[in-house]
Amino acid sequence: MKIGKTCVGCAQCATFCKTDAIKVKGKALIMDVCIECGICAEYCPMKAIEVSI
Amino acid sequence: MNNVAKPRAIIIGAGLGGLLSAAKLATSGYEVEVFERLPMIGGRFTNIEYKGFALSTGALHMLPHGPTGPLAQMLKSVGADVNIVRSDPMAVIRLPLIDGDNDYTNGYKDIPFRNFSDPLSATNRLKIAVLMLTTRVFPPKKGSLEECFSRYVKDEWLVKLADSFCGWSLSLRGADTSAKEAFSIFSNLYRYSGSGVPIGGCKAVVDALVDVITSNGGTIHTGKDVSEILIENGKAVGILVDGAEHFSDLVISNIGHVETDRLYNNIEPSEEYQQYLEQLKKIKPSAGVKICLAADEPLIGHGGVLLTPYARRVNGINEVTNIDPNLAPPGKHLTVSHQCVQWDKLDELEQEIELGLQDIKEIFAGKKYEVLLIQSHSGEWPVNRSASGLDVNVKNSTPFKNLFIVGDGAKGEGGIEVEGIALGVANVMERIL
Ligand SMILES: Cc1cc2nc3c(=O)[nH]c(=O)nc-3n(C[C@H](O)[C@H](O)[C@H](O)COP(=O)(O)OP(=O)(O)OC[C@H]3O[C@@H](n4cnc5c(N)ncnc54)[C@H](O)[C@@H]3O)c2cc1C
Ligand code: SF4
Ligand code: SF4
Repeated sequence: MKIGKTCVGCAQCATFCKTDAIKVKGKALIMDVCIECGICAEYCPMKAIEVSI
Repeated sequence: MNNVAKPRAIIIGAGLGGLLSAAKLATSGYEVEVFERLPMIGGRFTNIEYKGFALSTGALHMLPHGPTGPLAQMLKSVGADVNIVRSDPMAVIRLPLIDGDNDYTNGYKDIPFRNFSDPLSATNRLKIAVLMLTTRVFPPKKGSLEECFSRYVKDEWLVKLADSFCGWSLSLRGADTSAKEAFSIFSNLYRYSGSGVPIGGCKAVVDALVDVITSNGGTIHTGKDVSEILIENGKAVGILVDGAEHFSDLVISNIGHVETDRLYNNIEPSEEYQQYLEQLKKIKPSAGVKICLAADEPLIGHGGVLLTPYARRVNGINEVTNIDPNLAPPGKHLTVSHQCVQWDKLDELEQEIELGLQDIKEIFAGKKYEVLLIQSHSGEWPVNRSASGLDVNVKNSTPFKNLFIVGDGAKGEGGIEVEGIALGVANVMERIL
């Protein structure tokens, strides 16, 4: 998962992540515990999260 | 009975503006279809459950004019059942304990909002009383709120208070708020009175509207990104979603003028359209940071706003669990601060957040709390898509027939946040119904 430039830091992604893998302070940061489920990307209003394949 | 087909309306976006419009139209004989990009409904005005707390996608669970404001009236008019409880006190101002101090490090005292002129000298108190009265009859036409205050009453306190009030309610500094809009807001405060909290938070409003829309035959699609607005002969005729065309008699966009403008293709650059584009250049979104705190004991103790004019960044804080305890797990409180982020500080967001966190430490010195979540809003997911006062010229129309803009990018005059959204929707409905 990659956070793109359009991220505004609204933390919506973090609240929907089941593994608590996203920390947000001004911008989102995805940590290693991420299981690549892709849910955060669906809930991002800025289309800032790129799902890695 | 009636063989005539219902007129069709398409709404782009299921934020508060889109849902209010959909509810109005669905209860007025339109066949309504709402298309929302996200998997959820409500935009920046709904709850997100986080660690048992009802946080939100944006708003601080507060309606600026409570149970008697334009939003509450519109909810009632469509039959949306929401219990809105007035905050009492409406607002409290936190001052440093020791006169002359410039922060809260030596303690604080709280005064009711109506006593806002107490820290002024007797002469300045009189001057401000006269100013408030005369502007009700002769509202200022030009300049910012800060300029207006300093022209009549030069006082550091008024600058701080204006920043705190405008920062809390508009996410703007006093210097960036137009005096005309500010006094229009003050007169709405007299007319509609102060804030309130919907029981159940923002989502209670959204759920009630969804009920009205669906029970009147309307549909709301989620996960549907509108990629184009179809324009024919200067008229909106429908939209494009996932490559499929959907036609309608009316298109209402909930995503602001600027974002909507990106959804047209091959437009004839008429003079009217060029003028419209010039107006759009003046629109700027307002930015802010919200810090959500969890506490075992109330940090504020009432359901009104705590304005913090002596903080570095935080403009105000609320604790809605004093009105609706169910917005937090049993025995806990949800306390949320808001700070405006100035446009030139957007590149230093992390530093701005750090200053906000320091403010909270001082404001709640000696109290125990946990920082649940820090949310920042700017650009295309802002506090207001158009900072208050900047959308007054464009209003809700576009250069195209049958296409209107609603939401916080096209608010009605003097309308704070969601109240402005309701006033804007009312303007549109007046045009089409
Ligand atoms: C931190 C913060 C605190 C706030 N506090 C308060 C408060 O206490 N009280 C108050 O009254 N207001 C408050 N506000 C303001 C209020 O939340 C917003 O003004 C309001 O929610 C905006 O509603 P809207 O309908 O204009 O837009 P939105 O809620 O943004 O709705 C637009 C919808 O359109 C969707 N969309 C976008 N593009 C497309 C597309 N191409 N196709 C389909 N769908 C699309 C979006 O996903 C979104 O759901 C606050 C805002 C923030 C950010
Ligand atoms: S939801 Fe999107 S914009 Fe918001 S913090 Fe996460 S990545 Fe950034
Ligand atoms: S992909 Fe899934 S696990 Fe990874 S950060 Fe996003 S929501 Fe969390």
